[in-house]
Amino acid sequence: MDRNDEQPSVLLIDDSVEILRLLQVRLRSEDVNLITATTGMEGIRIAAERKPALILLDLDMPVMDGFETLRALKEDSRTVNIPVIVISGSDDTVDKVAGFEFGAIDYVCKPFNLPELRARMRSALRIQQLMSMLEHRAQIDGLTGLWNRAYFDRRLEEEIASHMRTGRPFTLVLCDLDNFKSLNDTHGHPAGDAVLQGFAKQLTATLRKQDIACRYGGEEFALILRETHAEQAHALIERIRETLESTRWPRHPERAITASFGVCDEPNGDSSVPACWLETADKALYEAKKRGRNRIVVAGDPLPGNEVPLSKAG
Amino acid sequence: MPQPESPTEPIRSEFAHDPDMADLINMFVEEMPSRIQSIADCYRDQRLTELQTIAHQLKGSGAGYGFEPVSLTAAQLEASLKTHSDLESIRDEVDALIDICRRLAP
Repeated sequence: MDRNDEQPSVLLIDDSVEILRLLQVRLRSEDVNLITATTGMEGIRIAAERKPALILLDLDMPVMDGFETLRALKEDSRTVNIPVIVISGSDDTVDKVAGFEFGAIDYVCKPFNLPELRARMRSALRIQQLMSMLEHRAQIDGLTGLWNRAYFDRRLEEEIASHMRTGRPFTLVLCDLDNFKSLNDTHGHPAGDAVLQGFAKQLTATLRKQDIACRYGGEEFALILRETHAEQAHALIERIRETLESTRWPRHPERAITASFGVCDEPNGDSSVPACWLETADKALYEAKKRGRNRIVVAGDPLPGNEVPLSKAG
Repeated sequence: MPQPESPTEPIRSEFAHDPDMADLINMFVEEMPSRIQSIADCYRDQRLTELQTIAHQLKGSGAGYGFEPVSLTAAQLEASLKTHSDLESIRDEVDALIDICRRLAP
């Protein structure tokens, strides 16, 4: 049913098939993809799966009425941010107030006036679009365009939860640009920023679609490589390491930039705890720095066998 | 909105000339006889909750299909059912709704 991804989906929840049919025809001219449900339960399930941009919800339904459905939608983290327009046969103020208090963004009385319903729908979709843009921006690092720390922390938790549930592997990589402070001191902050941006581009270009790259802090980056063991991760990161090392920077062509990498696909301690993963990767990163920088250390590898010969680590 | 001159005159949809609506209105009208039967059956068997649901749905959908008299009459029946539970006091509203529904024409 997701024929067109650019079209926002609108979920109609109404027990009356006649209303659903009517709205499907009447909203055909709108640039939306309509999905329908005839009970509150079905609506909640579809909303969680399909994440529509807007829900039109009938208040008077048998078994689970609109208020109960609305409350359930607002209690579920997957659906709490989806705007809901309540459509009701009652124009009683008590019902209207209750609808808004349960979290509806608008209230339309039935039988509805179509131009008004369309206008209210468009208005709700506009607000939703702005909200999701803001939400997206709030997760992006301004300088590099990578995901930011807050987003990373959330995704790491999710990835660990799915790893614990399904046993699917993933690899966490912490990465730190070598001698970055000295670069800033010698060539100025604009030069440092250009390196951060350039490295971010290299990361994005080399990583696969399923991977997640974040700017973790100043010159530190964190990668979540999904469905990947440390051995495969090593090959991928080696490409990143080489690309960076061989890059010539316009602002300081004489000075190569390198990075050190700490890799972890099985943490020391409790593997359900994000802090254990981060600590393990961080120790490996520290080890890489200690062994001379510009290299990859995989946590748990006893000897520096996975290393690359060092060239100009400093 | 078409105002019926006499109680037996057919009631046509306000949207009868809207090509988008033609099929929908036909469907709505075609399903009327079984709706009317349900109303009559519920009244006869005193299934008043069910009757209230039917009235409620017709109130919500009638005007959307261009049949405002359906919405108005169904709203009156629904309101009576909320306050009365004896068959006698809702009889006029049931008859009125059945009469309106019978006269619908595409």
